[in-house]
Amino acid sequence: MTCDCDELGRRLTELRDGALGESDCAAIQHHLDECQSCGALHKDLEDLAQLCRESERPRMPLAVRRRIEQALK
Amino acid sequence: MTRTSAEEPRALLFRALDEHGDRLYAFALRMTRDPDLAADAVQEAFASALHKFDAFRGESNIATWLHRIVYTKAIDLIRQRGKESPLPEEEDMDFGPDDERLARTPAWARPPDEILWGRQTKEALETAMKQLTPLQRAVFTLREVDGMSTDEVASVLGMEPGTVRVHLHRSRLRLRALLSDHFKGAVRP
Repeated sequence: MTCDCDELGRRLTELRDGALGESDCAAIQHHLDECQSCGALHKDLEDLAQLCRESERPRMPLAVRRRIEQALK
Repeated sequence: MTRTSAEEPRALLFRALDEHGDRLYAFALRMTRDPDLAADAVQEAFASALHKFDAFRGESNIATWLHRIVYTKAIDLIRQRGKESPLPEEEDMDFGPDDERLARTPAWARPPDEILWGRQTKEALETAMKQLTPLQRAVFTLREVDGMSTDEVASVLGMEPGTVRVHLHRSRLRLRALLSDHFKGAVRP
């Protein structure tokens, strides 16, 4: 498989999901190694994913929890 | 957590509230962008789950099932509010020229690590997420923030995994473009 930049953009999500076969992964990795703009896109999306993993999750306010507990009784 | 026959629905939902309540509330808050609506969505979801407990047959994880109900409630509340579009059923399911244009957004200026991973960037991310469509926010939150698999996200949203990937890719590209502005000027000369 060969891939152009538009196709690679679409397939990065499949790559991160492990949804591609070995030859597709190799073709995409080859493209990422060779193409500066796609490599930068991949790096940005990896950093974005890490930012999300580190972001704080808002907690459920106690008053809301009490309302739900009341509804379940 | 999966259902066991010995557990009463109420007991199981109380346990789900303890184990998944914060995640469900955070998901509802990101969907509705309004603390009052988020509270209503989660409360109505638990009430509905209790009422329709027979619909949960232990085929899926209870967290996945509750996320699905919260998603439905949140979309209903967004629809009633009537200020947001497109709603999920109006979203384009195929890649198009707009997506390819977004993919060509210049790469982030690489700021120093203390800026890239700092509080202001995380606040900028939250602000940027508010500019996604409701469906994009749902897909992105479940996959990237909550760490669900694509198959689990598909189960929550009632769509095919391939369709989830289309919306996930689109949301990533939009957030990358939105955060690009945040990083401008953050690079030391």
